[in-house]
Amino acid sequence: MARHSKGPVTRLDNATYSLNIESSERAVLNTLFDQLRDVLMNDSSSDIARRLFPAAYHQDEQHEAEYQRLMHHELLSSRLASLSMTADIFGSGTHSEQQNSDHVVVSADQLDSLMRSVNSLRLVLGTLLDVHEDEADVMLDEDDPAYGQLQLYSYLGWLLDWMVTAQTTAD
Amino acid sequence: MSRVPINARELLDGYAKPPCKATTINYSLPIGLTSSERNRPNTRQNMTVSIVKSSQTDVQPAEVIEQDSQVENDRPWIVLVWNDPINLMSYVTMVLQKIFGYSHEKATELMLDVHHKGRAVVSSGTREHAEFDVYRLHEHGLWATMQREDSR
Repeated sequence: MARHSKGPVTRLDNATYSLNIESSERAVLNTLFDQLRDVLMNDSSSDIARRLFPAAYHQDEQHEAEYQRLMHHELLSSRLASLSMTADIFGSGTHSEQQNSDHVVVSADQLDSLMRSVNSLRLVLGTLLDVHEDEADVMLDEDDPAYGQLQLYSYLGWLLDWMVTAQTTAD
Repeated sequence: MSRVPINARELLDGYAKPPCKATTINYSLPIGLTSSERNRPNTRQNMTVSIVKSSQTDVQPAEVIEQDSQVENDRPWIVLVWNDPINLMSYVTMVLQKIFGYSHEKATELMLDVHHKGRAVVSSGTREHAEFDVYRLHEHGLWATMQREDSR
């Protein structure tokens, strides 16, 4: 696989960013986003659900119940909307010309949606893998049964950091 | 919070290309596995998870109104962000800047408080204001809670 001379995300101006993500990577991401959508729609009680929908009132059960009654659906809708916008970037949306290319120009809102979706994936994967502080500093062991998932977790962190850097880079 | 691995894209090449070892890479999230059970990386996991209805969602509006006495409304609330091993330090800093309009220095200081002390107060105000802040932080994947200021 050819190496990129630039990172996967570059800021073009205040309103647009350039994504440089290869088709093989987009395919992996799309698969994971589909699975994340399923988790959001169907899981309401696991450790993953508790991480994606954390308690607001950790000291007050009554207020917490009221908060979740009012806000859970709101948060779910927000996450699904981000995934939908992400699908439009390099999934099955309307930008078919761009989707066949490794190079895609996106708006600030689209990048924000992609960033939050990638972070949600990291939360799910990190929770399932039970990662600990500074896990990323540990050399991955190919004999580890979770080697593939840890690779993926590392990749998502790397991609997320590029998106953060692109958004916080001064003009 | 965690830092970013170097050359992570090279790691993903293991997904994009056949790895040297004769193994199959699993693209699925290991949903439904406990830590001990995830020793089966090549098994595509069933993503269907049963929906369990929470018993805590039956609070009646009347009860809520009773709770909200004037005294309670006058007491300030604080919003806390808690340390977790997953969110990137750079990401947390950016989210605090974006949501609260903090400078990079202020956001970094709060992020480091979270990282080193386990939590930090990132905002305070009325209950409604705090709920909105918590919602926005949850929307970005941060582990945030709220409580009355004097209950720290």
